Amino acid sequence: MAPSLGNFSLWLSLLFAISQFFASRKNKNLKFISIIVTGLLISSLISFFLLVYLHIISDFSVLNVFQNSHTTKPLLYKISGVWGNHEGSMLLWILVLTLFNYFIFKLLNKRNSIFILKTLEIQAFITIGFILFTVLTSNPFERIFPTQTDGLGFNPLLQDPALAIHPPLLYIGYVGFSAAFSLSVATLSLNNNQKIPWYIYMKPFVVAAWTFLTLGIALGSIWAYYELGWGGWWFWDPVENASFMPWLLGTALLHSLIVVEKRKSLQTWVLLLAILAFLLSVLGTFLVRSGILTSVHTFALDPSRGIYILIFTTLIGVYSLALFGSKSKNYFDNNYFTFFSREGSILVNNILMIIVCATVFLGTIYPLLVEVFTNNKISVGEPYYNSTVIPIIVPAILVMGVGPMLSWGKENKLKIFKKVLPNILLTFLMTFFIFIIYKSYSVIGFAGIILSFWIIFNNLLMLIKKNRKYSISMIIAHLGVGLLILGITGSSVWQKEKITKMKIGDKAKIAEYNIVFNKINEIRGPNYVALQGVFFVYDNKKNIVTKLKPENRFYPIENNFTTEASIHTNLFRDLYIVLGEGNSNDGWVIRIYYNPLVIWIWIGALVIFLGGITSININLKKLKILAQ
Amino acid sequence: MKKQLLIIPFIFFLFILLAFFYLLIIERNPSELPSNLLNKKIPKFETESLLKNERFISSKEFGKEKILVNFFATWCKPCRAEHDYIKRFSKEKGIRIIGINYKDNPKKTVEWLRVLGNPYSDIPIDKNGRIAIDWGVYGIPETFVINSNGIIKYRHIGPVTGKIYKKINLLIKDIE
Amino acid sequence: MVKKKIVIIISICLVHFFLNYAQAVEPDEILENSEQELRARDISKNIRCMVCQNQSIDESNAPLAKDLRILIREKIKEGKNNDEIYKFLTDRYGDFILLNPPFKLNTLVLWIFPFIFFGIGIFIIFFHNKKSRKN
Repeated sequence: MAPSLGNFSLWLSLLFAISQFFASRKNKNLKFISIIVTGLLISSLISFFLLVYLHIISDFSVLNVFQNSHTTKPLLYKISGVWGNHEGSMLLWILVLTLFNYFIFKLLNKRNSIFILKTLEIQAFITIGFILFTVLTSNPFERIFPTQTDGLGFNPLLQDPALAIHPPLLYIGYVGFSAAFSLSVATLSLNNNQKIPWYIYMKPFVVAAWTFLTLGIALGSIWAYYELGWGGWWFWDPVENASFMPWLLGTALLHSLIVVEKRKSLQTWVLLLAILAFLLSVLGTFLVRSGILTSVHTFALDPSRGIYILIFTTLIGVYSLALFGSKSKNYFDNNYFTFFSREGSILVNNILMIIVCATVFLGTIYPLLVEVFTNNKISVGEPYYNSTVIPIIVPAILVMGVGPMLSWGKENKLKIFKKVLPNILLTFLMTFFIFIIYKSYSVIGFAGIILSFWIIFNNLLMLIKKNRKYSISMIIAHLGVGLLILGITGSSVWQKEKITKMKIGDKAKIAEYNIVFNKINEIRGPNYVALQGVFFVYDNKKNIVTKLKPENRFYPIENNFTTEASIHTNLFRDLYIVLGEGNSNDGWVIRIYYNPLVIWIWIGALVIFLGGITSININLKKLKILAQ
Repeated sequence: MKKQLLIIPFIFFLFILLAFFYLLIIERNPSELPSNLLNKKIPKFETESLLKNERFISSKEFGKEKILVNFFATWCKPCRAEHDYIKRFSKEKGIRIIGINYKDNPKKTVEWLRVLGNPYSDIPIDKNGRIAIDWGVYGIPETFVINSNGIIKYRHIGPVTGKIYKKINLLIKDIE
Repeated sequence: MVKKKIVIIISICLVHFFLNYAQAVEPDEILENSEQELRARDISKNIRCMVCQNQSIDESNAPLAKDLRILIREKIKEGKNNDEIYKFLTDRYGDFILLNPPFKLNTLVLWIFPFIFFGIGIFIIFFHNKKSRKN
């Protein structure tokens, strides 16, 4: 019953989406549209929750449940497993789309009705595209006969709390950009003769999208760090790049929206960015699900799905960009500003973010282009991105330190220099201090620490000054970036590693720590068995710091192994230990990592997130004032 | 900013999408990689032979007739799965099959072939996998088609399936 | 279609315990000369694991990765320089095995374009600056 109901509800939501498309075109009365928007949201909620229900009760007559679940799977992962697979994740996409659709509708009033209705029309089209894709190629309610007694299980790698909320956060990001896209296309197609401040409508969606995308990406990296076993957290994998590119465009977009708001400049540019951010999000979806690339992250490989998504992307892309090509000149302004001003520094940020995005895009699709044109295969991996992206980000960070302090219009260079001089000195002092602690010298380390403290001290200065012209959410978010850079630098440059074979009772030394291999246990989890090593960690004063217990797990249902690293974290460093292969006679392969300052990466990301949340609040208030 | 520049994003986007469409339509398998040794001479090697006393010297064996080279091992399940096709190849006229035994136990291999049938005219032993590396092998099973001049004409990664069997058969007839 | 692909992937007989079985250099591989070992690690980080998805042989636990790591160390001990080692690998596996794309005709666009983008960016900034002075 439930599967059929879920399927019915899904098709019903398609019907509502189509109705919304036509109703908003014909400018039907608001009551009617309200029913449709609500109906769309409720039907998608019902189908989503029904799928969750089916997973929880382990209804293996449903193909999706059979392929991705098992009775022994812990409840949390039964639930998160709903969106850990392709079909279920599409249902989540649709849910978030209908939710944001509802938010857009809530903005509707007599004055902006033409504008918002146009936005709803475009949003409806997007929603139709996603629901149609789901029902035609990826219906999660498909049945399997005869009903199986149990499922195939679920990749143990994905049975993890961070990874559980990673997709919903990312989708809030992508869907938020879809709203910005629709607002932009509405603005362009209506010529804005009503002078509606479209940018005030756009900003909360952009900030929300960007904020949640930031957290989503960060959680993906956190998972990679503690799950994958060598302290890495970013690999320039095509699917990581697919989320990073919209993030970069989102960063550019939210900064340039400020310029539009305050100075009415860069409108054409922002309208384009809003379109591109969503197009890249959809293109990213295409890359992940089409089978065109192999990556650690790709879902089931299926070219027919790829063709559908590509057609959809082509339709919305061609329409929006052609519209942009013809109509955006109405939004031209002739405000040119000097680069030593607040607008100027935001423009510099935008340009640099676009360059990084273009470079990452180039690197990601380049192997495909080479294949098309030369029938050869090449790889573009981490070394390429490191050598191209880092040199571009460095000036962006430098500008970020001082940019927010500059006035709108034009700034006095000497005045600013006097303001930041103490920060420059403090930065060098702090850098010197850090180098004394870590006793390791490298150019990159030097650059990274300088950049991070440059940001931190400049923002602390603004915080202390309590000047109203400095936005508090900006200060918080920028501080977060400073902390993030600190963490990235420390963990990349000063990492120590020890690989050794240890028998029970053996000792190993890393940095100032002595680690003793105490024993091996056999333990049992809900759906796995594991070999656990127990290690005592002592500091140089022979005090015990912690006990580390890495595990090697075997999940019998999925016939899969995972290693669970054991990590001890504090503000200065992570101690990270992994149990490799071995036996009691020959000993075990043990890998120990000393990763300085890693936690600041996560703290930094969280602080950025908090800055974003603060900003959403402020921007929502502005929108409320407008709506009255 | 000139108004004509505004159409650039549109053009660029179209170009990228066309490239993606093309890639999808040609149905490429992203996990399939063409051999870097295609149309080049086989890598020379010399090693023990499983069933014969004398050493296997590649320069003596290749360059005279068409040869199918099959990298295999007893511990490899897909090798077991494709073995019937390899035997079928050995019954085809005009091609000789050489099986390179990869990181295996010679005694086990002898027994394996005894039970399942031996399609190979020769079985050079690749004890540590270095010969495979010289051939650009990713993992076993892998099958190569060599023409009578000792040039590698085709490489298939993974077990030989019905479709691949037909393909290779046609290829053998085509090449010199 | 999907099922067939899954069959093929499983069929490729590689005992790779999924990418997460920790970073893969083992104690018995490590060279005694730490300079040589560092060189080996650096080279390995640039070599793609051909049977994994997007990992270097330094990180991967696949058998082929291990073989290549050992081979690289042998070549270093033999006195070969980095270029010779890379050439040995690309001769057999093609440019695909390099994670750092080589600077060749077919990667010209890849390596030059970031600079071009950067140049365009600088140009726009100066253009903007110049126009503002006129106003």
